[in-house]
Amino acid sequence: MTFLVQAYAFLYQFADSFAFLVLCGLGLAIIFGMMGVINLAHGEFIMCGAYVTVLTARAGLPLPFAMLAGTLAAGLVGLILEFLIIRRLYHRLFDSIVATWALSLIATQGMLIVAGPSIEGLKTPFGSFELGEYSFSVYRALLPLVALSLLAALYWLFVRTRFGRYSRATIEDADMARALGANTSRIYSQTFGLGAALAGLTGALYAPTMTAVPTMGQAFIVQSFVTVVVSGADVMLGLAPSAAVLAFIQSLLTKSYGQLIGQIGLLLTVIIVVRVLPKGISGWVLQRNAGH
Amino acid sequence: MFWSAFGTIVLAAAVLPMFVNDFAITNLTYFLVWVFMALGLSLIWGYAGILSFGQTAFFGLAGYTYGVVSINLGEGGLWTWFALVVSLVMPLVLAVIVGYFMFYGGVRDVFVGIVTLSITLVFETFMAQTAGPEWTIGSARLNGFNGMSNMPPLTIPWGETPLVFDGTSFFWLVLAMGVLVYLGLRILVNSRFGNVLVAIRENPDRAEMLGYNVRMYQLLVFVIGSVLAGMSGVLYTLWGSYITPSSMGLTAAALPIIWVAAGGRKDLTATLLATVLLTWLSQQLAVKGNQYALIWMGAILLVVVLFAPEGLFVTVWKKLRGRMRARQAEPSPKTASSTSA
Amino acid sequence: MAAILQTRGLKKYFGGLYAINGVDLAVEEGELRCLIGPNGAGKSTLFKLILGSYDPSEGEIFFRGENITGIRPHLRIQRGMSIKFQVPGIFLDLPVEQNLRIALQRAYRGAALEEELSRLLDLIDLEGQRDELAANLSHGQQQWLEIAMAVALRPAMLLLDEPTAGMSPEETFKTGELVKRLNASGMTIIVIEHDMAFVRQIAKRVTVLHFGKVFDEGTLDKIVGNEDVVRIYLGKV
Repeated sequence: MTFLVQAYAFLYQFADSFAFLVLCGLGLAIIFGMMGVINLAHGEFIMCGAYVTVLTARAGLPLPFAMLAGTLAAGLVGLILEFLIIRRLYHRLFDSIVATWALSLIATQGMLIVAGPSIEGLKTPFGSFELGEYSFSVYRALLPLVALSLLAALYWLFVRTRFGRYSRATIEDADMARALGANTSRIYSQTFGLGAALAGLTGALYAPTMTAVPTMGQAFIVQSFVTVVVSGADVMLGLAPSAAVLAFIQSLLTKSYGQLIGQIGLLLTVIIVVRVLPKGISGWVLQRNAGH
Repeated sequence: MFWSAFGTIVLAAAVLPMFVNDFAITNLTYFLVWVFMALGLSLIWGYAGILSFGQTAFFGLAGYTYGVVSINLGEGGLWTWFALVVSLVMPLVLAVIVGYFMFYGGVRDVFVGIVTLSITLVFETFMAQTAGPEWTIGSARLNGFNGMSNMPPLTIPWGETPLVFDGTSFFWLVLAMGVLVYLGLRILVNSRFGNVLVAIRENPDRAEMLGYNVRMYQLLVFVIGSVLAGMSGVLYTLWGSYITPSSMGLTAAALPIIWVAAGGRKDLTATLLATVLLTWLSQQLAVKGNQYALIWMGAILLVVVLFAPEGLFVTVWKKLRGRMRARQAEPSPKTASSTSA
Repeated sequence: MAAILQTRGLKKYFGGLYAINGVDLAVEEGELRCLIGPNGAGKSTLFKLILGSYDPSEGEIFFRGENITGIRPHLRIQRGMSIKFQVPGIFLDLPVEQNLRIALQRAYRGAALEEELSRLLDLIDLEGQRDELAANLSHGQQQWLEIAMAVALRPAMLLLDEPTAGMSPEETFKTGELVKRLNASGMTIIVIEHDMAFVRQIAKRVTVLHFGKVFDEGTLDKIVGNEDVVRIYLGKV
């Protein structure tokens, strides 16, 4: 009996990591995979979503609406920043890295000054359930399902809608897409906004499970870029497998050696993957299948 | 004209301790300490085109190595110098390993940044969890986030009155090292080696097809830059007798990028000036109780990237030179236009 | 005369197809060979294999009698090869003279370097623009700059990948004369070209590539006379 409980505990831990990595990685992957922009302010969009969620929820808004508010706020900020700054940096990769890093610095410090070192958080909804000597949070047990539904929804968006088709065409060949009538600058800004909104959603979803601090973005950014690098450019194909592999490594290490070693394990994995599979999992799969 | 100005400044700096108090000297030393890492990054990124986020990893590694070795070898004068050498050898070895892994493994462009940032974070994360008493090397406790302290200053034994490098003498030491490194790097970048670095930055495939062993050059320049970062690390540790994992965190890793980008990464002098200026500026803001230091840093970086991507000092200098040339030259129908990077 | 370059059973597979599918090529020392063929025939891929940018999936390459399969590109260059890329591979943000200096500094120093630098600038008619940024040159001038850089290495064998792409007819003719002059001095030259007038101006021997294989080889007249060659070009000859 205890073996089953142990097994479930590991599975829970794995699914929890998986959800975290998928949700962290989505916004960054969309922006990087589809636009080639490395958004180092990604963590701060997550923070924005979390803060707005907490503040609106404490102001009285029911939690689901507060989360929606957080998501939309981040998306809006994303659209504004894209218009003001990001769009000048599309073919300047180094500069986009440096500029978004600057934005991240400004946002983190700014939030620290405006809102202080931490704000009072929210309670995790749905309580917990017990198995053997372990107690599990219902909310966090459900997050993996949310992550998977989100992936499915994005798949539908990019494969079956007009926006999705135009997006993918623009990413592949902007000039051609423009010639065929796509409004490419609007598509770029919408895609960036979507990436930002997804980051906001991640922040919103995790807001009830952690304390909102201005530096929380830094905890997310590392997980995010690790997942995206291992995934490779094709988000639909690579993100879930990437998150699965990394979640497994992280859960295993955390179980035996603790959080920080788990984190180190992730970083070492990304170093090895960059060397061995530079195009990530999706790149490797696509290359293998090109022969058939 | 440049060299007379340079000589004057160095002389002025050297005699400064006679005119200002110890506190000011200690501050000035603090600014100079960062110059080595910045110059190293300018070499790696500005001249060779490799964006490495790993400077702070080498910084921290050297700092901690000095701490561990010097604490273990006690206060014996010359042993501190041995510790200094070892602390520079460690980043060198790590840089060779990492550089080989990356450049000979086909890791290019943005992925170099990812790998080096990951290494920096691995270090920071690892050191952060060494707070417990079991984390000791010899008699030196690593101490996790509390940081390691109490390492001895550099000393030259001299019977009853050993020369301890502290305060003003430490300032002169750092100044001398800074001048030597700056001059050495200038010779390097203006040599054939420097030309090859620039070629690799501009078009690595073409450089290879002109017969240059691109990977070897990249490895070499990466190692040089990393040892320089290590030098900053040791000097920082000596300056405050203190080193902590946060010197390897995300924010710390951003700072050299900001100084180098703001001044002009493709120019050593611009980098030097920007580093001293910006570290002074941050300190001024911190002193005045202003929490906005990092926001200003971020804003400066953003403005530079958007409006003066070659760096503020470089852009201003080019504009001034353009005006001087326009005044000297006869009017001609065709004027050479310069592109920005 | 000995074959300076030889490939045996050379194949290159790229996730899906054979870009080079069994090429046996032999180029004599001092030859001026043209490599032609429709788009996608594998011409640039062949150059990349010769240079070492790609490793062959099968087969071997010999240069000056030595098996160079597996030797790194910069070492092959040092052994006497040189290339002018299809897309101008020059240092756009550097001045013209700096471009040439970087090409020359491995073999020359001091006064000899400056002398050779001037000679090359005269050769390509850019002495007056030596301080100009390479990006500000016309397309044709950029092509010539790159040819000069490639020639600066004093290679035994020079590879030119579409040297006249984007050039005007006058520039094309001048390039042809330059290539002939270089060849007359003993340099082996292999040229990939689409411009048939240019090929006619310079060619002694022509190799036709199609679907990664040698389709035909011989003098230009023989090639043009081959109906199948005309057909694969869809009347472009």
